Amino acid sequence: MVHDRLRVLAVTVENHPGVMSRVSGLIRRRGFNIQTITVGPSTVEGRSRMTLTVDAGYAEVDQVAKQLDRLIEVISVEDITEGPTVKRELVIVRLETVPPVVEQFGARKVGDRIVELTADTEVIEDFIEFLKPYGIQELARTGPVAMRRSA
Amino acid sequence: MILEALEREGVEIIFGYPGGANLPIYQRLPAHPKLKHVLVRHEQGAAHMADGYARATGRPGVAMATSGPGALNMVTGLATAFMDSVPMIAITGQVASRTVGTDAFQESDVIGCTQSVTKHNYLVTKADDIPRIMAEAFHIATTGRPGPVLIDVCKDAQQAEGEWEYTSCSALPGYRPAFEPDAESAKKAIELLAQAKRPVILAGHGVILSHAEEELLEVAERSGTPVGTTLLGVGAFPTRHPLALHMTGFMGTGWNIKAVQNADVLMMVGMRVDDRVTAKLSEWAPKAEHFIHVDIDASEMGKNVRPHLEVVGDAKRSLTAMLPHVQPPPADRGNWLNQIDLWREEHPLKYSKSNGHLQPQDVLIDMYRRCRDEAIVVADVGQNQIWAALWWNYTKPGLFINSGGSGTMGFALPAAIGAKMGRPDKDVWCVAGEGGFVMTAQELSVAVEHQVGVKIVLLNNFSLGMVRQFQDDFYGGVRSQVDLTQMPDFLKLAEAYGLPARRVHRVEEIGPAFDEAQKAPGPFLIDFRIDPEANVYPIVPLGKGLNDFWELPNGA
Repeated sequence: MVHDRLRVLAVTVENHPGVMSRVSGLIRRRGFNIQTITVGPSTVEGRSRMTLTVDAGYAEVDQVAKQLDRLIEVISVEDITEGPTVKRELVIVRLETVPPVVEQFGARKVGDRIVELTADTEVIEDFIEFLKPYGIQELARTGPVAMRRSA
Repeated sequence: MILEALEREGVEIIFGYPGGANLPIYQRLPAHPKLKHVLVRHEQGAAHMADGYARATGRPGVAMATSGPGALNMVTGLATAFMDSVPMIAITGQVASRTVGTDAFQESDVIGCTQSVTKHNYLVTKADDIPRIMAEAFHIATTGRPGPVLIDVCKDAQQAEGEWEYTSCSALPGYRPAFEPDAESAKKAIELLAQAKRPVILAGHGVILSHAEEELLEVAERSGTPVGTTLLGVGAFPTRHPLALHMTGFMGTGWNIKAVQNADVLMMVGMRVDDRVTAKLSEWAPKAEHFIHVDIDASEMGKNVRPHLEVVGDAKRSLTAMLPHVQPPPADRGNWLNQIDLWREEHPLKYSKSNGHLQPQDVLIDMYRRCRDEAIVVADVGQNQIWAALWWNYTKPGLFINSGGSGTMGFALPAAIGAKMGRPDKDVWCVAGEGGFVMTAQELSVAVEHQVGVKIVLLNNFSLGMVRQFQDDFYGGVRSQVDLTQMPDFLKLAEAYGLPARRVHRVEEIGPAFDEAQKAPGPFLIDFRIDPEANVYPIVPLGKGLNDFWELPNGA
């Protein structure tokens, strides 16, 4: 068991108004170290899928998962850190000048001086470092979404 | 529809207060004569009455209030019930759905404000949702680890007319209480207990909530394991049983503390293992090689203490699953029990008797002699609460009610009124200090109006006793803002509210005062003028481990 590193929770919730507030309120009042939360609709009507990355040891992540599971509108919580996972994040950046070689990162131009990249969080960080000399005017990141590599 | 749903769920009493945003509900109330409504004098009182009613009967208490200030006045009562896992339904009026979010008159974000003090809450904007939500609310409040559920109903949703189907709720996709324990874990727990040299069981509120006291007694007796309880677990195990360790924690008995600190296997059943149980966590139960934690709430596992063995399940079913595997105690168990007996003799509960003042323990001991095991004691918060826990011999569960987790001053009087209304067959005693008593004293009107025969035992020391003791013992003796000399004359206060009362200064006056109180058909107040310097012992200095517990100083 890996004990101290970034852990990833896949959370299924009811798509009700106020669910994000319940989840974020719980995280705040229990003092958990949550690095990112992303949320989007799932394939099931009325359900959303959240991905949480938690910067803490196993014991705390266990508490995060159990406390989340206590919420009535949380359907399931799964720690998918162990084993291979696919983790992706999207970034879009408006630049002063677009460097000629963004494609080497797997990025592409999507408009006037705007580039996008979908990749691992680590690659996204490298990409942003690479872009800095070209003048970043605006930047938006989604935070990571994740799932197990095999079902 | 709200009132119909309450009837369908078997509700008998609503503790409530009308206002602008729940007028439609109150308009229909006279058409539901089966629902008795108790008009409280402050919404906090409604929440505590519903709480006391629920704790005394095991059925969910129902509290009602209007929007904004009405609902917010209930927040302390909701938090109290939430911390102690009490089943409760709170119904608050909300401004009309089209005006929600516009800072309308008496609008507050009640859902936001109560999110962290309820098991769940609902905002109802459409009348069609009312039957489903009411059914879900009762299901959530009363099952698993119980707790308060709040339903905030917009005024327009209350007004809608129509026909509804009401079906009670039995399952929700995101709510799966863990009733049945894992059989293997339960068996393993008993094996660990059997292999122990110095085992201890600690029992909490969960044992009382799931009516597991008989199973607990059987496990303890057949395995020869001593049992202590938490403050909320008082009564889960008979206090005078040879295996009883009485109350644990930082105001627990000396022999309990000694047993916990020397135990090699500790099984915690239906409890949260909070800081009042452990005192300084790193020094708690230092010799325990195995912690076994039995609780219905998986999130309690490892929250404060990481157990070596988790049994996630209802206390009754978990103990029942253990019973077939219980072995008679090993031959050397007598050594451990003898050691505990020695500690019991070395560290008895003591109180000061020699200074000429009336001692609170004298009052409680006399009370117990009269009531034995039948009366319900509802304590407030502070010294009175700990004295009532330690100096009364509870032999049955559910007879001691107090705000354990939240420590809400002002709880006792309204909770006692609720308890007595739920259990009119029981004598109900409200034990309170004068500080907490005046926080909700307006509810005396309710007791008088409905002739609720609550007997109020006011342990009056003219100060905030517990805070005064902490200041004396742990904050350099600086007495700061604890003096309550300026208080109403409680006999005149009682007279003003319309109930009989009596004052007691000396030990020999206790008996006649209680005689009079017990004869009175309705509420009665006794103003006991107790020793202003009386303290709670044992006590562990704040921030210290259990081993550092203080006892009554010699010669005191």
